[in-house]
Amino acid sequence: MTNAFILFLVSAIVSPLLYRQGVLKLLALGMTLLAFGFSNTVIGLSGFENNPAVTLFIQILSAVIFAFILHERDEHLITQSLFLAVVSIALLQSSTLVTFIISFEALSLISVIITLGFNNSTQAQGAIRIFIAGAIATAIMMIGVSFLLLSGANLNSALPKNRDILTITGVLIIFTALFYKMTIFPMHNWAVSTYANISSDRAALLSGVAKSVSVVAIFKFFAPYLTNMSNEILLSIAILAIITMTIGNFMALFREKLSSILAYSSIAHSGYMLLAFAFVNSKYASSGILYMAIAYIFMQTASFLILDILKNRHNIETLTDIKGLSSYSPILSMFFTIQLLSLAGIPLLAGFMGKAILFYAGIDVGMLTVVLIALLNSALSVAYYAWIIKHIYFDKAQEGRKKYIDKSIFLSQMILLIGTILYGIYVYKILNVSIFLLH
Amino acid sequence: MNTLIIILLTLPFVSAIIAYIAGRSNQKYSFWIAEITGIILFAITLILFFNYSKPYSIDIEWFKFANISMPMGIYIDSLSLVMLLIATGLGALDIHFAHDYMQDDPHKPRYYSEVLFFIGGMILLVSAAEMTGLFMGWEFMGVASYLLISFWHHQKAPADAGVSAFLFTRFGDIFLFAAIGILFYASNTLNLEQLNTMAVSGKIDKDILFVSALFIFIAAIGKSGQFPLFPWLMRAMEGPTTVSALIHGATMVNSGIYIVARLFHLYTAAEALTVVATIGAISAFLGATSAIVQSEMKKVLAYSTMSHLSIAFVGLGASSLAAGMTHLINHAIFKALLFLGAGAVMLSAHHVKDMWRLGSLGKKLIWIAVFMGMGVLSLSGVPPFSGYYSKDAVIAAAWLSNDTQGAISILVTVAGVLSIVYIGRLWVLIFAGKARDEKLYKEIKKPSLFWIVLPLGVMAVLTLIMGFFQESISHFISGNDLPHMKYLGYYMLSAVILLAIFVYLFYYRRLDITQKLYSHPFVKGLHNILFNGWFIEKIIHWGVWNFIVEGIAKASYYFDRNIVDRFINFSLPASSFINHTLNRAKSLTPSQDSAYTIAGVIVLIAVIAFGGIR
Amino acid sequence: MNPLYMIFGPVVLAALVGIFFKEDFLVKIISLVLFVSMLIWSVSMLDTASINSFSLLGTYIHCNLIPIDLTLQVDRLSAVMLILTFLLLILVTLSSWNIKSSAYFALLIMFAGPITGVFLSTNLIWFFIFWELTLIPMFFLIGIWGAEGRIYASIKFFLYTHFASMLILLAFFLIYKQSGIMDISMIKESMLATPALIWWLMFIGFAVKMPIFPFHTWLPDAHVQAPAPISVLLAGVLLKMGAYAMIRFAIIMMPQTAEKYSYIILILGLITLFYAGFNALYERHIKKMVAYSSISHMGLVAVAISTVTYAGLSASLFEMIAHALVISPLFLIAGLLHERTGSWYMKDMGGLMQKAPFISTVFVLASLAALGLPGTVGFIGELSILIASIQKYGLWLAVIAIGSIIGAGYLIWTLRRVIYGEISDSVKTSNFRICKTRVFALLIFALLIIIFGLFPSILFDIIDPAFQAFNHTGGAL
Repeated sequence: MTNAFILFLVSAIVSPLLYRQGVLKLLALGMTLLAFGFSNTVIGLSGFENNPAVTLFIQILSAVIFAFILHERDEHLITQSLFLAVVSIALLQSSTLVTFIISFEALSLISVIITLGFNNSTQAQGAIRIFIAGAIATAIMMIGVSFLLLSGANLNSALPKNRDILTITGVLIIFTALFYKMTIFPMHNWAVSTYANISSDRAALLSGVAKSVSVVAIFKFFAPYLTNMSNEILLSIAILAIITMTIGNFMALFREKLSSILAYSSIAHSGYMLLAFAFVNSKYASSGILYMAIAYIFMQTASFLILDILKNRHNIETLTDIKGLSSYSPILSMFFTIQLLSLAGIPLLAGFMGKAILFYAGIDVGMLTVVLIALLNSALSVAYYAWIIKHIYFDKAQEGRKKYIDKSIFLSQMILLIGTILYGIYVYKILNVSIFLLH
Repeated sequence: MNTLIIILLTLPFVSAIIAYIAGRSNQKYSFWIAEITGIILFAITLILFFNYSKPYSIDIEWFKFANISMPMGIYIDSLSLVMLLIATGLGALDIHFAHDYMQDDPHKPRYYSEVLFFIGGMILLVSAAEMTGLFMGWEFMGVASYLLISFWHHQKAPADAGVSAFLFTRFGDIFLFAAIGILFYASNTLNLEQLNTMAVSGKIDKDILFVSALFIFIAAIGKSGQFPLFPWLMRAMEGPTTVSALIHGATMVNSGIYIVARLFHLYTAAEALTVVATIGAISAFLGATSAIVQSEMKKVLAYSTMSHLSIAFVGLGASSLAAGMTHLINHAIFKALLFLGAGAVMLSAHHVKDMWRLGSLGKKLIWIAVFMGMGVLSLSGVPPFSGYYSKDAVIAAAWLSNDTQGAISILVTVAGVLSIVYIGRLWVLIFAGKARDEKLYKEIKKPSLFWIVLPLGVMAVLTLIMGFFQESISHFISGNDLPHMKYLGYYMLSAVILLAIFVYLFYYRRLDITQKLYSHPFVKGLHNILFNGWFIEKIIHWGVWNFIVEGIAKASYYFDRNIVDRFINFSLPASSFINHTLNRAKSLTPSQDSAYTIAGVIVLIAVIAFGGIR
Repeated sequence: MNPLYMIFGPVVLAALVGIFFKEDFLVKIISLVLFVSMLIWSVSMLDTASINSFSLLGTYIHCNLIPIDLTLQVDRLSAVMLILTFLLLILVTLSSWNIKSSAYFALLIMFAGPITGVFLSTNLIWFFIFWELTLIPMFFLIGIWGAEGRIYASIKFFLYTHFASMLILLAFFLIYKQSGIMDISMIKESMLATPALIWWLMFIGFAVKMPIFPFHTWLPDAHVQAPAPISVLLAGVLLKMGAYAMIRFAIIMMPQTAEKYSYIILILGLITLFYAGFNALYERHIKKMVAYSSISHMGLVAVAISTVTYAGLSASLFEMIAHALVISPLFLIAGLLHERTGSWYMKDMGGLMQKAPFISTVFVLASLAALGLPGTVGFIGELSILIASIQKYGLWLAVIAIGSIIGAGYLIWTLRRVIYGEISDSVKTSNFRICKTRVFALLIFALLIIIFGLFPSILFDIIDPAFQAFNHTGGAL
């Protein structure tokens, strides 16, 4: 039985054989397309399930991986991205504790591997941060799992629903460990140095793909348990979310390095996404997080890939460098601007709708103040995105250097752009399937 | 008849546009268009006048919103007709006069089109049935006056004078505007006649009535140059003399009186006429005294205008519509005559306005001297000239009415008799005596008989003839006789003769004594006060500048920048501060970071374990 | 004609034009043709909108979970706003003829899309989407083609209004939560559990856009730094959008709450009227003076809105149009003066009438209209507002008249310093010749000011039905 998981896995395993043959990219693209077609299939092992929401997400994941492969020239990284897709599908489809933990650890592992392709000490520093963080997270998670086992949970089933002290402790500790992956305060620092220091195409995979996949999977797996949890716990999650997004937004202000701005913005977005866990009692929470993750996977991946293009082609890393980009690279500027506006939550782009539905879930459960703060945070984030746009459009370039972008890069950006715009307008495409996320 | 009325109302505006456009190709056209328009308008008015049996009235709905309908109808009764005759008749004469007066000016099209626009505004004002149309005409005239005063806008003084004129009159106008709102609220109509009847029948609350009457009167004060809003009128003399004659002597300044006369019953019902009389008396006195010491002939005429309009106001204030309006009409004619005469003198004397540089012009400009002399006699109240009858009627009314007896009547009498002093002084200084500037005297030009002297002659004859028709004019307007007081005419006449002798002595015979007198410190101080119009302008200017511009405006300017906007802009340093604070927390090494996190997890476990979370 | 084309068409067209057309003349023609055809389309909608309620144009993008359908409905109010918008867009295009950039006109085209959406969509979320989307072209237009302080101004404009929009979004969330309906044509005030909270959130949000004191400080910066035609667009369309939303959401949708807080709108409106007037009086910077004058007029609009009556709303709509017609030529000429003399300050100007009589005449006319001279459109607005607000609040509202003497103060003083007086050196050495299209645009403004001023019934006949159906217990109808 063919399915997306197998297709990705095969192509990932085969890909090292095709290095330096010139056909790897083509093959990978083909396999990704094929996987896109089979995205509604489920892994043929016990402990994996599928539902329409996950199918949609896997489709989008394949599309993004497709765009990434189009963009990428490093063949090792293509292999790694295929592996990432494999693990992501497993994580998204996992339905029991053991499959979830294994897939999650695999995701951590592949994340570390992705960062390992470093060329200098700064990049190495970024890689070390994620490695340490991943190790600690695994350790904490194991503690949590041991609590669960103590409470008599069966590893080969979904999370138990009982509310005894051991289960609660276990679940919360696992949850804490997962905060690592989601870069929630106070465990967000590694993400900044990792995303900002490693090369941007790798950051795109980590921050864009891996993060949104894990957020959706975590929500899918933990939300049923959190429903009807006491208000204090939901409220403390909300407070953590607010602190995270506030820190992310304020730290992103006054940054000089572009990747650093995007890294902090990524943390702010983690804050928004964590809100879904606090609003879990609303039926809109699952729609919100799915929408947010889909929007995020498009816009964040696209932004980091653009940073990569800027670094490689124009040697642009900072705001000062990017001045007047529009005068010599108008198309790229347009791509970048639209993705930034989407990140900022400007309407008619996916980023706005994701936030809007997610925040509406907050109103739905009556957390008015939390939503207000989140909205103001979102408005604040406009400040630094607009600041980048200001450098691109309103400032004069230092020297004229006109370069046209490749067709493949154009195509890859176009795919991501269409995603960002399409899902900003055709809201129902996501909303109509999102209710299945938890079933 | 309605067609004629519509033509009367629209023609001036149409002609104004045509005159401007046509004048661009050849400047002569604009004059002829204006002249012909003036004559047509006057002819239409005459037709209306001679066919008058009952008021002409046309109802027009201007606009309607929600349940509120704003009409702008036309209503021409005897009062309007008289005003129309003045406006169109004097307007036509003035345009005729301007042919020579404005000959050398390169902006003739603009001049004639603005004058026509003005005449249109005046016609609209006096034939409006509602407050809306009245206000429209009122403001049209205001703008025309502003534009014409600043006609030579490239010079500083006329430009400043225009600003002053507009702001002073506009200050009054906003009260009229407010009164429209108030009256509409109180009576649900803006029809002037209806307002009068409703006021008389007591359908409108008395306090509201008084407030609106007061507000309308403030507008009248502004427009008619009464105390304390008169300084603009003196400055307005910076405009062309033809403009001063038409707008600031004969027509526009009358509109304040017209509006009070139009709403006369409302004023009576509101018991606001005392206010009118009081302000009138004060202005009459201030104007008359200031006129005595002016050295520019146009300024003398301006102060005399102020003073004489005040006399008309006092007539109304003394509850005599007949006296007030008759004086208004007479004044319009002889003041236009005097202004145009002054214009003729200036034209001949190369635009010298200072009377002390003229003198003995009578020998060269004999016709002008004669006609202006007639105007002088009329103004100072010498029979059989028209001014005599109406002025005496006003003073008689002031003495006869209980409300105005006393201070008001004394002031107005003083102002009345003082007019011989300033106007006699003007005539003597210009036309009699020795030529004080020989060089200028030699260069005096002869004016054209047809263009310059003819209009003067027409008006001089008019002011003489009208003296015989005073009672019929009074009847036509108000249906009443002019007020009479026994022996008043004799007293007044003897006072006039006495003062005429005084003028003869001081300004003709013994100028040396006058000059000596002026060097005395007390007289010098008094002269200074009077010369500056009792410093009213300085006081107002000081107040407005220091309290409004440098006070409130400056305060709000700084408030806006330093408080409201700074509060918004403060978000930048604030977020910068937060950013820096957070940055300090960020600079942790990976090991510190991890240690803190593990500590945090331990705390979390402890809390869960011992805090007893359900 | 499918109204979706009118909303998304311009956006797509803008993108195509911006990418493929480098020749600015062609883009100018395209935008003119587009705006003219959209004007004709919106005029044709007056027929559809002749009845007193919404008429449905179409519902698109249906969603099961949340009713965020793109519902497009038109009523008289929105039809009038659309006509005003496209008229101004045409004139703005004509007056920016000297700008040699296809991107500029592409952004103008792009602006036409969301602004149509704002006035047509009755779904809360879609309204908000278009509302926010109008910011983007404006942000770029100010930031790229603005004057020296453009960056500060554009970012302040963007952030300030975006922050305010967040409150609006929150209010919309609450409305949907409490009523379960997203379509404003069906929401009734009685469905809401916390009307006061919702009203306040919306009021502050819209007050920033209008703007009402103390939320106005973005405006002087944005309007001054924007290129003159864009200032026209800001004053003529963007502020009107705020007023439109205020009427649509804070008044028509929630008349009782509005009635409850009407005094607050009134007081803020009066403060805006006087305070901005005094600011303009002290201002030496010509375009800032015009900007404050614009704020002052919007204060008058706020006063009219605060009446919550048929008459007041009708008057406010008239004043909105009047304001657009009057303030636009002032902005255009102030911008032109800066363009040619290089100075912002009135002390460097003077005697313009001798150098450029046509421009000066239009400036004088617009100034007179701005101070409410009868015979111009400004007077009708002031008069109708005066009458409507006195009807509602009583006689003390005659204080509105003070606004017009303050207006006379700064405008006449400005005329004295800029148009009249001795010719200054910088005016003498500058060239004030402008191309025919810009002359034409100024001429249209001048003519409209006079025509609507003399025959206001033309305009009132069109706009008055907009509020005919508006009736509630609190109003003085």
